[in-house]
Amino acid sequence: VSAKTEFNDTNGALTPFLGAFTQSLNELVERVLPSLVSLRGRRWGAGAGIVWRADGLILTNNHVVGRHPPVVQLQDDREVESRLVARDPDVDLALLAIEASDLTPLEPANTSPRIGEMVFAFGHPWGQRNSVTSGILSAMLIAHSQNGKQIPIIRSDVSLAPGNSGGPLVNVRGEVLGLSTMIMGGDQSLAIPVSMMKDFVEEALSGKKYESRHHQHSSERVL
Amino acid sequence: MMENILVQLSDALATAAERGGESTVLVNARRRIPASGIVYNTDQILTANHVVEHDEDISILLPDGTESPATLIGRDPASDLALLKLEGATATPAEQAKIPARVGQITLALGRPSKEGIEASLGTISAIGRPFHGHHGHGRHGRHGGGGLLDRYLRTDCIPYPGFSGGPLVAADGTVLGLNTSGLARGAAITIPTDIAWKVAESLAKHGHIRQGYLGIRSQTVEIPTAMQNVLKPEQNAETGLLVIGIEDESPAAKDGLMVGDILVGMNGSPIRHHDDLFAQLSGETIGQSMPIDVLRGGQPQTIQVVIGER
Repeated sequence: VSAKTEFNDTNGALTPFLGAFTQSLNELVERVLPSLVSLRGRRWGAGAGIVWRADGLILTNNHVVGRHPPVVQLQDDREVESRLVARDPDVDLALLAIEASDLTPLEPANTSPRIGEMVFAFGHPWGQRNSVTSGILSAMLIAHSQNGKQIPIIRSDVSLAPGNSGGPLVNVRGEVLGLSTMIMGGDQSLAIPVSMMKDFVEEALSGKKYESRHHQHSSERVL
Repeated sequence: MMENILVQLSDALATAAERGGESTVLVNARRRIPASGIVYNTDQILTANHVVEHDEDISILLPDGTESPATLIGRDPASDLALLKLEGATATPAEQAKIPARVGQITLALGRPSKEGIEASLGTISAIGRPFHGHHGHGRHGRHGGGGLLDRYLRTDCIPYPGFSGGPLVAADGTVLGLNTSGLARGAAITIPTDIAWKVAESLAKHGHIRQGYLGIRSQTVEIPTAMQNVLKPEQNAETGLLVIGIEDESPAAKDGLMVGDILVGMNGSPIRHHDDLFAQLSGETIGQSMPIDVLRGGQPQTIQVVIGER
């Protein structure tokens, strides 16, 4: 269900509470949507990505980026070729750069997440563009990466589907809590916490982490 | 930015999870993954019976991070509840919701399946079901073969994460609406309402078991011929009853004159059609009371007063 149609379908019969609630949802969606991009590879369908900086940095899942950098489709329908800046299969993150200077980045959440707080996943599940699903933050867990590294992970009860991967998981203020990483099984919606995203970008830009020469063999999940 | 209504709701939910979480513990009493439990009294933990696989070596991880050994006070397989005693630690008892659950109400299912902390999923009360003939899976502790019995249960669309059995379903204010378990409905998660769960806990705390009334008959379900159905009162007019095929010596049934060949059709004004009906009627409160038992004897309805014993 497209967020725009879902949230604009208010009717006059709503109580003031539900009216105000719906309006708040609407504002949240309007705030986040400009920062959601769609990624299209050569051989596969759409994944999602987040505008991380106004000058063209896009953050997504490593497994969404195949052998070749994907085409980035912006909310104004511009389609731009991307360049791979860095990728890390271990934390399933990839940083892309596009030629742009006027993008709307999302703010990272600066408060620590609380179990039970409401969260919203933005993405393109099953190719349905610009969808929003909601739920709560269920748990803060520790996952083990392929080479045994412990990484913190967010579990929510938001429903995700293929096409949500790489999209933002935001709080009620529209700030990024994490990056959705689509996992099979529906009720195991996981996201990489924003602290790891920040660390990854910082390392990537400081030159410590460049595109690894040994490319990943498959798009399987790394957790 | 103004704290809009969405922010307020989100904060309220997180606070509810936090508050409910203060009385939600990790219960380590089975192989594989741990389960959850609710602090019923400062030193008593209520959890699901099916997650207490062993009677010894039980440990509890409290919300403040302390780990405490626990012992089994008692279990009631019929309602899939077990009460544990904390040995050498205390915790904050859960608060019962003041208003009974309503369909459509926002709820959180809480659990503490790991040391990482409290976990939660959001949903609404989908249905309030009654009465419920469950099927508990662990025959070893089974008191009777027919399965669990609940007067009422709640169904929600909260995701029951692994290890959530025994944990609370809480209202938006963090008070407890019930205890979640996947042990009663063939693996599907249902919630035992707090009033029922607390009553069972109270009895387990006092007696170590659930008091159950006793008649002393062996019986089987039989069809009642149409001709005989016509002689019954309308409220007893059922297609089946319980045929008495044996009476235990010295039992209440023997003392007060029930006979092999009688067909039980009612007790204390309620119809008896299956074993579960009789089981439900023989509650702990009936013990020592003289109760009217409606039977068909030689095709004619009769009412026999029996003083109910205790099993």
